Amino acid sequence: MIRFTDVSVRYPNGTVGLEGLDLEIPDGQFVVVVGLSGAGKSTLIRTINGLVPTTSGSLEVEGQRVDGARKRELRDLRARVGMIFQSFNLVTRSTVLNNVLVGRLHATPTWRSLFGWYRKDDVELAFQALERVGIVEKAYTRASELSGGQQQRVAIARVLAQEPSVILADEPVASLDPPTANLVMRDLQRINRELGITTIVNLHFLDLARTYADRIVGMRAGRLVFDGTAEEADDAVFAEIYGRSLTAEDVLPGAGEAATAEAATAETGPGEGAA
Amino acid sequence: MTAVAPRAGVRPARPRPSWGAWSLVAAAVVMTIVTGSAIHFTLAPLFNSATRGWVIVRQFFEPDWGFLLTTIKPMGVTLATAVLASMVGCGLALAISLLASRVTTHNAVVYRIAKAILSILRSLPDVVWGMLFVAFVGVGSLAGTLALVMFNIGIIVKLTAETIDAVDRGPLEAADASGANALQRARVAVIPQILPNYASYAMYVFELNVRASVVLGIVGAGGIGQTIQVELARFHYDNLSAVIVLLFVIVFLIDQASQWLRRRLG
Repeated sequence: MIRFTDVSVRYPNGTVGLEGLDLEIPDGQFVVVVGLSGAGKSTLIRTINGLVPTTSGSLEVEGQRVDGARKRELRDLRARVGMIFQSFNLVTRSTVLNNVLVGRLHATPTWRSLFGWYRKDDVELAFQALERVGIVEKAYTRASELSGGQQQRVAIARVLAQEPSVILADEPVASLDPPTANLVMRDLQRINRELGITTIVNLHFLDLARTYADRIVGMRAGRLVFDGTAEEADDAVFAEIYGRSLTAEDVLPGAGEAATAEAATAETGPGEGAA
Repeated sequence: MTAVAPRAGVRPARPRPSWGAWSLVAAAVVMTIVTGSAIHFTLAPLFNSATRGWVIVRQFFEPDWGFLLTTIKPMGVTLATAVLASMVGCGLALAISLLASRVTTHNAVVYRIAKAILSILRSLPDVVWGMLFVAFVGVGSLAGTLALVMFNIGIIVKLTAETIDAVDRGPLEAADASGANALQRARVAVIPQILPNYASYAMYVFELNVRASVVLGIVGAGGIGQTIQVELARFHYDNLSAVIVLLFVIVFLIDQASQWLRRRLG
């Protein structure tokens, strides 16, 4: 359970990130946050794990108050809240396995991580995570040799290795081509359904939001302007969120072809699927 | 192909020439003349007194290769000093580098202290460190090793900390978001990114150490430098030239090997 109560975020330069946000997300829900760039989507996601501190209001995640939490409490919370990024944020010079093991750092004593001596159980968890996203054969490959879609799947494996109860994804498919974007979204949805992990995803593309979301949250200028199911989020609603009527650019091209392209992309070699 | 007709518009006026650059050049010329005359700089002795050292030069051209047998041990000491100092210096430098970058050290006090120590280390040249340690621990290779360690930390920390400042922040954010602590984040997200640069700096410093340890020997820090100083004092220029040729060959070989390695790292 995630509960925002009248949460505002103001950045040091005066920019408003969030303005009096009230939002409750029950366990296991798949929520997609939509809005223009600068509407506060990223801020919303980053307040949940404390990467962006709140200015006022109260925020509770999995029974832990995030506002005013101490460093140690924040680290414990972040161990339970995984995050996926637009630019994957892998250490490209390290192997896939070592990247996934970053997800086990919270459970690894510091001295062990300094030598890279991860426990057997943690390595096993990392392998299982890689198997779940179907990329285990690349375990000892350098991350830099993978395509964009593969790198994002490694990032998902890194999050799974954390064994989180919440997954945050900040524009996870914005750097990917349309078929790969659908693959990654499907991975996220499958994980949400199979493991019951609460999932909150920021998206640019409206049709992806409609396809995968249990619930869509619309943001505009740091405020919540829509909160409803995917069915309720028709074009008129999106026009209001975006402050103008929809154009072809707002829809991910080629989304319908995704199913046929899936088989081809699943085997994408190094570099090919990269954006 | 259709040509696009140029659209008429107001072209910007040519900016006025910058006098700043010219005045800097002028200032450099004036400073060269002023400082040269201040120390009565002249190349005259190079021509007038060139014949004075003819005896010495002749001896230099007749190196006593047999002397090299006695230099094996001090040469070994010099190389060992360079290797040991490189290892210790580079190891310490990596840890200090993490403290001397804002990326890995959020605590402003720790960061400032690390930077302050760094500028103190860098304010003294290696020979002065050598003389200080000879005063502290006495004549010998320990003084030379300690001096080189200080010298290495100064160089490597500066270069490595600047490399850390420029790493991709994405993996750091990912480590933070997964609940890692600062040390774990540095280990998994920063060090892999800087490793090739750091290794290259370490090799470069090793090259410097081989040369510097010779000079340090002259101020009493042991090794081949001490041999050079003794032979110089005894006017045995034939021995000296043999040592210098040997040094040239060894330093040249080490530099080549190190540069080859550094190219492979990049």
